[in-house]
Amino acid sequence: MDQQHIRNFCIIAHIDHGKSTLADRLLETTSTVGLRDMKEQLLDSLDLERERGITIKLVPVKMNYTAKNGEEYVLNLIDTPGHVDFGYEVSRSLAACEGALLVVDATQGVEAQTLANAYMAVDQGLEIIPVINKIDLPSSRPDYVIREIEDVVGLDCDNVILASAKEGKGIGEILERVVEKVPPPSGDREAPLQAMIFDSVYDNYKGVICYIRVINGKIRPGQNIRFTATGGVFPVEEVGVFRPGFEPCDELAAGEVGYLVSNIKTVAEAHTGDTITDNARPAPPLPGYRKVKPVVFCGFYPVERDEYPQLREALEKLVLNDSAITFEPETSVALGFGFRCGFLGLLHMDVAKERLRREFGVELVATAPNVVYEISTKDNRVIEAHRPSDFPEIGEIDEVREPVIKISIFVPSDYVGKVMKLCQDKRGNYVSMDYLAPDRVRLVYELPLAEFIVDFHDKLKSLTRGYASLDYEFMGLKAADLVRVDVLVSGEAADAFSFICHRDAAFYRGQSAVRKLKELIPNQMFEVPIQASIGKKVIVRQNVKALRKDVLAKCYGGDISRKRKLLEKQKEGKKRMKQIGRVSIPQEAFLAFLQVEEDEDK
Amino acid sequence: MRTSNGVPDEIADAAARLSGPFSVYVHIPFCLRKCPYCSFYSMPVEEHDRDRYLALAEREIRRFGELLPRDNCAVSTVYVGGGTPTLLSPGEWDVLFGLLKGFLSFFPSAEITAEANPESFSEGHTEVWKKWGVARVSLGVQSFSDADLHWLDRPHDADRARWALKKAVAAGFSVSADLMFGLRGQNLRGWKSSVSEAIGLGVHHISLYQLSIDEGCRWSMNPPEDLPDGYPMYRWSQWYLPQKGFDQYEIASFAKPGHHCRHNLSYWTNAPVLAIGAGAWGYLGNIRYRNGGTIKEYGEAVEKYGCGAVATESLEPEKAFREAAVLLLRTKWGISFRDYSAQYGEEALRSVILTLRNEAPQDCIDFRGDSLALTRKGMRVANSIWSLII
Repeated sequence: MDQQHIRNFCIIAHIDHGKSTLADRLLETTSTVGLRDMKEQLLDSLDLERERGITIKLVPVKMNYTAKNGEEYVLNLIDTPGHVDFGYEVSRSLAACEGALLVVDATQGVEAQTLANAYMAVDQGLEIIPVINKIDLPSSRPDYVIREIEDVVGLDCDNVILASAKEGKGIGEILERVVEKVPPPSGDREAPLQAMIFDSVYDNYKGVICYIRVINGKIRPGQNIRFTATGGVFPVEEVGVFRPGFEPCDELAAGEVGYLVSNIKTVAEAHTGDTITDNARPAPPLPGYRKVKPVVFCGFYPVERDEYPQLREALEKLVLNDSAITFEPETSVALGFGFRCGFLGLLHMDVAKERLRREFGVELVATAPNVVYEISTKDNRVIEAHRPSDFPEIGEIDEVREPVIKISIFVPSDYVGKVMKLCQDKRGNYVSMDYLAPDRVRLVYELPLAEFIVDFHDKLKSLTRGYASLDYEFMGLKAADLVRVDVLVSGEAADAFSFICHRDAAFYRGQSAVRKLKELIPNQMFEVPIQASIGKKVIVRQNVKALRKDVLAKCYGGDISRKRKLLEKQKEGKKRMKQIGRVSIPQEAFLAFLQVEEDEDK
Repeated sequence: MRTSNGVPDEIADAAARLSGPFSVYVHIPFCLRKCPYCSFYSMPVEEHDRDRYLALAEREIRRFGELLPRDNCAVSTVYVGGGTPTLLSPGEWDVLFGLLKGFLSFFPSAEITAEANPESFSEGHTEVWKKWGVARVSLGVQSFSDADLHWLDRPHDADRARWALKKAVAAGFSVSADLMFGLRGQNLRGWKSSVSEAIGLGVHHISLYQLSIDEGCRWSMNPPEDLPDGYPMYRWSQWYLPQKGFDQYEIASFAKPGHHCRHNLSYWTNAPVLAIGAGAWGYLGNIRYRNGGTIKEYGEAVEKYGCGAVATESLEPEKAFREAAVLLLRTKWGISFRDYSAQYGEEALRSVILTLRNEAPQDCIDFRGDSLALTRKGMRVANSIWSLII
C-alpha cells in the first residue's frame, strides 16, 4: 500500500469511556472481522481485561476502508494503554501514529489521564479528532463536554463528532474523518531501515513477537536486523499485519504497522521504544527511547512453601511477556522463600498477581507494596533501601530521600476541600489549583509515591464518589524526615512487622500496627507487650493479655494416650508457628499483617 | 498403638512379672442412652448382655488371677467405672465383687470406688457395696440446675441427684461428686450454686471438668455455640473450695483431708493398672494397653486368649519421660526430682526443668528445691505448659 493511503491512529480515552466498544464498531464497519467472529471487546487480549472491563492494552489491528471518495485506505489502529502506570508505553504508542481519536464520555467529561495523554499527543504532533461518546445516554450533556474539551484541552471542537459506539452512531463519520484529517505517514522507503517497537508479546510457538511501526526503509524475512538498545542481531523470520490475528506478508515498508518474528527468546531483548535497523546498513536510533524502571515493589510468596519452584517458573514465564516486571529472590522470616518484584505501578502489580494466579495456577501472598528509598549515611555512603531492614541504625543516617510524584486530580468543585485534605494528610505539597469549568477543578500536588501507593486511589474514589480522576508523573527523589518504625513483640524486634514512615505519622501508624497485631497474636501463657519504637525510643505499647482458656477434660477409663495425642497435636500446631522470643505467632497472623488488603472495586 | 496376635502374650507376660501393689479398673460399658458430649463406648443394656458381660469379666479376672504372682502382689485400689455401673443390679455387683475378691488378692487397706449415676443408684447398691468394703462412691451429678441437666440430656434431674448424694453420704461412704462447668447458659452464679449445693449435701470430694466436645461424640458434628468461658469458673473454684476445706490435690480434683482418690493417683504416677472389661485401659510393666473397645471385640479377645487386651503402646524412652512429667504435673506433689531421675534418668529431669524454666512463665511453676509442681495459676493454663514438655 502506498504511503498516501495509510492512516495510523490511536484512541485516547479514559477507562470506561467506551474505547473497546468503539474499536469493536470500527472493526465491524470496515468488515475486518466477520459478524460471526465478533465478540465483545474483541481486542482486549487478556481474559482479565474483558472481565474487569478495563483495557490495559488493545491488540493493534489493520482495517481496509473504502472512503466516500472511492479510494481504498489502510487504517491501522494502535492502542494506548489506558492506565496511568504505563505513561512511557503510551508515549511509544503515540509515536507510532500520526493521529488520535480523543474519546470523551458525554456524561463524564474530560478526565485527568485523558488530558495528560492528549497533551502528550499534541506534543508529538499528532492530529487529534475529538469524539464525544455515549450520547445515547439520557444523562449525556455533549454541549458541556464540548466546552470542556475546548477550555481544558484547548482543542477546536467545531467539527466534533457526536457518537454512540453502543448504538453504532457516528462510526462512519469517524472513519471518514480519520482519512481526511490524519496525515499519511511520511518516511523514505529507500532509506536505511528504522522501525520502532511499540510493544512485544511472547507466543509459545513463535517466541517473541515485536509490534513495530516502520519509519524509514523496509523490513522483510531473511534480513539481519539489529536492536539498537540491546545490540542484539537476529534474522527476521516472519513479518505480517494484524487482522486482528497474525497474518504474514512479504514485507513491511515505511509508514506501515505490523509485527515481526525472529529468533528472540525473551521480551527483555525487545524493549518497547527500541529502534530496529538493518545490521548491514545501520541507521541512527529514533528519539524517545528509555529503559523503563519499576517504581513500586512488593514481595510475592507462595501460599504453600513447597510451591516456590512453581512460582519462580511462573514469574520467569510472565517476564517473557512483560519485561517491565523485575524479580529477585528474597526470604522473609514469616513467609519463607519468595521474590521481591518490581512494577510500573499498582495496577501493573495487581494484574501481574492475577495473571500468575489464572494463567499459571500459582496461589501467592503479596506483601504490601513499597517504594525504594535512597539513604546517605554520615560516613558518606549511599544506600538503596528496598525494605525496612536495609535502613541503617538511626544514628548513622544523614538523609533519607524518597520518590515523589506530581499528581493532577480532576474533581468536581464540591469535593475540592476533601481532596485537598486527603493530599495534605498524605504529605502532599500544594502546587496549583485551577477551574476547568465553573464546577470542575484541577488540583496539582507533589506527593510522596509511598503515600500514593498505599490507598490513595481508593480513598480518593470514596471521598469523591468516583467523580475524581488522576494522573501522575515522576518528579525524582526528595529528602524527607522518614524513620523506620520497629515493632517489638515481648521486647524482641520482629523484622516482618517493621515499616518506614514519616516521623509525624510514626505514632499513628505505630499505634495501628500494634493494635492490629494485638488482635492477631493469640493469647500466650503470659502477658505479651507489643511495642512500636523508633530506634530505642518506644512510642506505642499495648499488651496481649495472658491466656485464660483451658480445658480440663476427663480421662475416660484411664485413656491417657488420648490426652497425650491431643497435647502432641497442640505442640505440633505450635511448631508451625513462628517463635519470636517466647511468643508463638501463627502464620496466618503474618499473612493478615503483610497481605495487601483486597478490595473489590479496583 | 500396636495390635497383633502377640498382644495377649505380652500382657500375660507383664502380669506375671508384676510385684507389689497394683490398681484395677473395671469398665461397665452400659448406659440408658448416650450423653451428647460423651465419645466413650457404651451401649443400651439388656439383661442378657449383662450376664454375658459378667461371664466375660469372670474369665478375664480368673485369667489374671492365675497369671499374677501369689506373693507380694496385691490390689491396692479398685475403681468400677463406666458407662453407668449402677445399671448393674445390686445382685450383679455382688457377683462382680465376688469375682474380684475371689480371684485376686487384696491389701487390707485397698481403696474401692464405685461410680454411680443418680437415676440408677439405689439403696440396694449401698448395701452390697458396704458388704464388699466399698469406701468411695463417685456420683455423676454434673450439675444441680435442671436447665443444665436438660441441656446436657442427662437422664436425671437435680432432685434425683440430691437424693442420691444424700443417700450415699448417709450410708457412710466417702462421696465424690462430678460437676461440669462451661455449659451453655451457665454463669458463675449458676456454677457456684452447684458447687455449694454439693458441699452443703456433705460431699468429701469434688471432681470438676470443663465440658469438652471430643471427636466422635454426638455433638462433635455440630458443636454447640455460645459456650461460656470456663476459665473464670475454674478460677473461682480454686479460690472457693480451699476455703470450704477442699484441697486441690490434682488439676480436676478437690478433697477434704484424707479423702483424695488413690486410684486416680496411680494413673498420674504411672503405677500399674489392670484393666478389666471392654474399652478399659491398663498399664502393666511400662506397657499401656487397651481392651477391645466394643463388647463384641472384647468378647472375642477374652474367648480366644482369656484377656481382653487388643492393642498395646510402649513409648520410646524420649516420649515416655515426657508423658510421665505431664502426668505428674497434674498433681500438687508434682515431680519429685529424686523419684523422677531414678526412673527416667538425670538427663530427662534436666530437660524437663530446663524447658519449664525457659519457656513457662515463672508464676506458673513452683520450684521447691527437691521437686516442682504447677502453681494454681499453672494449673489454669496446664494444657499450654504440658504442650511445652510433651
